[in-house]
Amino acid sequence: MKSKYWKLLAVFLSIGIVAAACGSDDDAGTTTTAAPTTAAPTTAAPTTQVEVVQGGSLLDTVQARGTLHCGVSGSAVAFSETQPDGSVTGIDADFCRAVAAAVTGSADNVEFTALTASERFTAVQTGDVDVLMRNTTWTQSRDSSVGMDFGPTTYYDGQQLMARVSDGFSGSSQVADIDGSVVCTNVGTTTEKNIAEAALLAGAEITLLGFETSDEVYETFIAGGCDITTTDGSALVGRKAKQQPADQEWVIFPATPISKEPLGPTYGQNDSAWADAVNWTVYAMIILDEYGITSANVDDHVGDEAEVGRLLGGEGELQSGMGLAPDAFYQVIKQVGSYGEVYDRNLNPVGLYREGSANAGWLDGGLIYSPPAR
Amino acid sequence: MAGFGIGSEIASVAATATVPITAPPETPKLPPREWVKANLFSSPFNSVLTVVSTAILLTLSWNLLKFIFNPIRQWNASATNLRLLMTRAYPEEQYLRIWVCVAIILTLAGSSMAVWRTGSAMPVTGLGRKLLATGALLVLLALLAPFSAGATVQWLLAALVVAAVGEALRRTGGRGETERTVSTLTLQVVALAGLVASLWVIPFGHHSYIPKRIPQVMHEPGTVALSTKLPWTIMLVVVVAAYFGGVLLRDRLAENALRVTLVVLWLLAPPVLVYLILRDPDFDMGHVIGTDIPIFLAYAVLGSTLLLWLTRPSTGEIGRIVAALVLLAGFATFLSPMRMVLRLDLLLLATFALAAPTFAGGLRARKRYTGAWLVLLGVMSWLITSINTASTVRVPGGFFIGGLAITLMVAIFTIVLSVPLGIALALARTSSMPIFRLLATWFIEFVRGVPLITILIFFSIMLPLFLPRGMHLGEVAAVIIGFVLFSAAYMAENIRGGLQSVTRGQHEAAEAVGMTTAQKTVFIVLPQALRVAIPPLVGHCIGVFKETSLLAIIGVFDLLYMARYVVPGQTEFMGSARESILFVIPIYWIVCSRMSKASQRIEQRTGLGER
Repeated sequence: MKSKYWKLLAVFLSIGIVAAACGSDDDAGTTTTAAPTTAAPTTAAPTTQVEVVQGGSLLDTVQARGTLHCGVSGSAVAFSETQPDGSVTGIDADFCRAVAAAVTGSADNVEFTALTASERFTAVQTGDVDVLMRNTTWTQSRDSSVGMDFGPTTYYDGQQLMARVSDGFSGSSQVADIDGSVVCTNVGTTTEKNIAEAALLAGAEITLLGFETSDEVYETFIAGGCDITTTDGSALVGRKAKQQPADQEWVIFPATPISKEPLGPTYGQNDSAWADAVNWTVYAMIILDEYGITSANVDDHVGDEAEVGRLLGGEGELQSGMGLAPDAFYQVIKQVGSYGEVYDRNLNPVGLYREGSANAGWLDGGLIYSPPAR
Repeated sequence: MAGFGIGSEIASVAATATVPITAPPETPKLPPREWVKANLFSSPFNSVLTVVSTAILLTLSWNLLKFIFNPIRQWNASATNLRLLMTRAYPEEQYLRIWVCVAIILTLAGSSMAVWRTGSAMPVTGLGRKLLATGALLVLLALLAPFSAGATVQWLLAALVVAAVGEALRRTGGRGETERTVSTLTLQVVALAGLVASLWVIPFGHHSYIPKRIPQVMHEPGTVALSTKLPWTIMLVVVVAAYFGGVLLRDRLAENALRVTLVVLWLLAPPVLVYLILRDPDFDMGHVIGTDIPIFLAYAVLGSTLLLWLTRPSTGEIGRIVAALVLLAGFATFLSPMRMVLRLDLLLLATFALAAPTFAGGLRARKRYTGAWLVLLGVMSWLITSINTASTVRVPGGFFIGGLAITLMVAIFTIVLSVPLGIALALARTSSMPIFRLLATWFIEFVRGVPLITILIFFSIMLPLFLPRGMHLGEVAAVIIGFVLFSAAYMAENIRGGLQSVTRGQHEAAEAVGMTTAQKTVFIVLPQALRVAIPPLVGHCIGVFKETSLLAIIGVFDLLYMARYVVPGQTEFMGSARESILFVIPIYWIVCSRMSKASQRIEQRTGLGER
């Protein structure tokens, strides 16, 4: 009888140890706030704790918090790169800074969260990030069933192919010309599906080689293991500028990409006030770029007439009406820059220019267009 | 076990990689002709094996050298991004905290080395022979590597200098009675000092970005060496000073007490470093005095009273009922909303209460038991308070640290937490009580039937969606919980293997001298079982360390993710993934080989395989 008690005790003890070990760990990074009486919510992330504005828009929450939580990739060349000191740069990062400047008044009030492709939408749904600037393609399923809403496209990308001139390819080559080629690409992405579909439609027979990382794709391409590589045009241009060996000449084709990849801000659906704030930050950067206003000359234009004046806070009721400070977009231009400035600063170094591309302004034959501010 | 398999694989790979290289048959100077004949060409089959494996090794090293010394390789990428690879985005102005942590770890390491008397005397002639072999190897590599003529001459000269020093040492080393020896620790310090000195001379990498509102490239790049040469010099001094401090203490104090103190300090170090130094909680003193301290005091007074009463031999059966009620109360607290710290303290108290009758005895034993409760309660209260407090260190990103630091942190927390959980599960699985046996079996078999990636994705992506509104589980905490549960299931099976190796006779002998089941388990069965389970357990720990790279899937930026995606994701270092991966391989290898060395030491110490 006595030994039974002891067995019971031993097992209870082990369960107790388990409970204590789990329990203390459970609290170790958690905010177990079952009741409002509990101390301020904790995460390991050192953020100032602000109560979520219940029932209100994310706009109020971000303004109360004073910091924008922005989801980026953190490892996408020219879009969002993590620099050696840990800071984040790139065109996506600059749009994060722009939204932060518009909503909180300072472009510094942004906290970047680097997200992988698989967790980005969950991060929005759980409220870990307020907005995604993570080269996310606007698609029907993401817009509807995934539960996202998309802002204005900030970069029109599209899948293209890259081959060697010595293999007889030129800028005017078409998908039909790759018949019989070995094509390298990343596995598990839509890139793979797109090229297979495009080749089928064009009647070209290709051999697809899949690789885990882009670097392996280009190593193989340089070594001659494949005739063609394919991915989004922006990445191809960057690789060509950086990695083309002296004894090879690469060419990117077809001029019209085989897929449409509109990239832009992404946020949770059904929050109009927040959507307006993000969208009109981008629109303001596009409109003011059309007028040739930059961070250098914005101070000379504050008192201007008409659209520029309205956006820069001359008559602030447009911005005030949507819950922003009257000079919100002045701060955006002053601290971050207009669309063209941001584009040139980040994408020119990797060989991407606006002229002649889909990302030129609508006046120059491109697709970058904004509704009027009035 | 999977982890064990990987561990032994590494050991065998290391063995095949190093043995033929340190004694290459092409160097006629080193081994006498007879040695070669006896060992490498003893039979026709052996000769073929030698020739073939030499050819394979030469081709491999030739290709590796061709890759490493190719001028298009961007080795600068790893050097420039060292900070990113080690700690990710920890702010520059707070970097002193990282150095303080490194200094604390080095102090502990230095004094532990002295107290455990590591290092051994190495004959100078042996050292000379090793240097000679290294020189020969360098000659071989310099001839193999695709260098320009000038570079080949330089490398050959360097190799000859090394070989000459080796030969000189070998000749002057003495023999027999006059043989001179040198401590391996001295050699390690000399090597480290050489590395640190190289920081003062060689400009490793360049650190070219300055954080501004819109980051810009600096015109005059600074170097990584520039920012780390002084700290690393101080670290070298710290570790040497700690060693001599340890020697002083060892000679003056009781060695056993010193060892216990050091072990406790090692166990305390991870939470202290992570939550107190790196995170630096921004304590709200009003809240601490008004809430945290009163809760601690209440539990301290009530718990001590309860435990002092429970450990009285005269308390008897009623004590167990009270303890069980405390445990029930502990679980019941989860039904009503209250502070988490109240529940956890109650659960800890219940654990102590349940174990109390085992520790019943004289007043001194009872006081010691109550003291243990107070210490543990204090540590837990402090941890919970500092974790629940915002940090003064503002770091961008989802978690305050990344790179190698988070790899180590997750590995250490997982290993330390899953060992007790694994022991508990193993005991439950081998217990004679059907409910616990079934629960443990189901848990172990279920966890072992699910891939780790599934568990990690569940804990990081699905769990936040299931949690009630307002309750938030930090990503790193979530994955550590998942990791601990996964790892504990495997540990439990390793330990169960050890438990089964304890013969029936041991159980019977323990019962014959009147030990209770708990005493038998703690003092007779577990020590023997754990001793047998050391090799698979360490193999599993090595596996856990390497499996931390799976965290990348759920967006925790560990060392491998940094090297594979983040560094090549910089415009400047596009296409440098393979260089970065080659750079992190030695880091993983050093940690894993250290663990396996430690395992060998423990095995020797416990006499495993000898008796």
